[in-house]
Amino acid sequence: MEIKQESRGGWCIVAVTGRADATTADALEAALVSAVQANAKVAVDFSGLDYISSAGLRSILQGARAAQESKAEFMVCAPKPNTKTVLDVSGMQHVVRIEANLPC
Amino acid sequence: MLTMLEEVVLLAVDEQTGRVQTSQGYGTGYALAGAVFFDLALAKKIDTDTDNVLILDPTPTGIAVLDKALLTMAKHPDKKTVRSWIEELKSLDQELEEAALQLLVERGVLRHETSKRLWIIDVERFPVVDDKPQRHVKLRLAQAILGDEIPDTRDIMLVSIAEACGLLSLVLQPHELELRRQRIDVLCGLETISRTVKAAIDDLYQHIRSASIQPM
Repeated sequence: MEIKQESRGGWCIVAVTGRADATTADALEAALVSAVQANAKVAVDFSGLDYISSAGLRSILQGARAAQESKAEFMVCAPKPNTKTVLDVSGMQHVVRIEANLPC
Repeated sequence: MLTMLEEVVLLAVDEQTGRVQTSQGYGTGYALAGAVFFDLALAKKIDTDTDNVLILDPTPTGIAVLDKALLTMAKHPDKKTVRSWIEELKSLDQELEEAALQLLVERGVLRHETSKRLWIIDVERFPVVDDKPQRHVKLRLAQAILGDEIPDTRDIMLVSIAEACGLLSLVLQPHELELRRQRIDVLCGLETISRTVKAAIDDLYQHIRSASIQPM
């Protein structure tokens, strides 16, 4: 998994590529928590994510949790169809904002 | 820190009588198996996707009941689905409950008492010695359900297992549970393990209903 962060149009874009699973979940959670603590608006770009496991989903949830605590805007964007299916099956959309496209 | 298995069994101990209430529900075995899965996931021994279990690290956790489950899974790499393992571990429900109670006694949270009923029937009780852990579990459950924030990972898991065991009514009033039903369902749906436990319990009750209306 690779995580890249950039600022664009007032948003912090956290681009995640590869696999989000138990071996990479801690790094993903740390990156998301750090991003929401330092930025008012964070979009997680999943367009390069190939696979997400339960451990990966927990990282997203904890990133969203940290965003609530920091009162930061937080969304997951552009998931591939297989990732979108996993997000939908878990009902993640009831807890975390999920968008088909990046905000900018 | 208590394991998920210990937390859910502790929740089922009546603080007044020391009796354990988990054995009463048909679905409890599935829920306790789910708790073991969550403990192994939290220990980074396993991971799951929407259907399958992946064993990441078969080395022991140091907790015998979890290690037995982990070793069993590691010996059968051909069996991959969460559902098949939930079904397998479900048969160990009594063993899982006893192991959790033993751990809680060793930690000084409960005390083990045996007495006789009608002079011949052994009756086991587990009076609460230290009530802080049980109060902490109940508080976390109440906060996770009544609050609007995203709960901690452990608390999401705890809600889903307590719900599957039918233990949430020991923490919240019926009207509170009814009011927060949608949130409880959302929290229970977030994890593959709890969705699988729920599906297994639903299938079991469907089977029981079907059997009960079969013509003689």
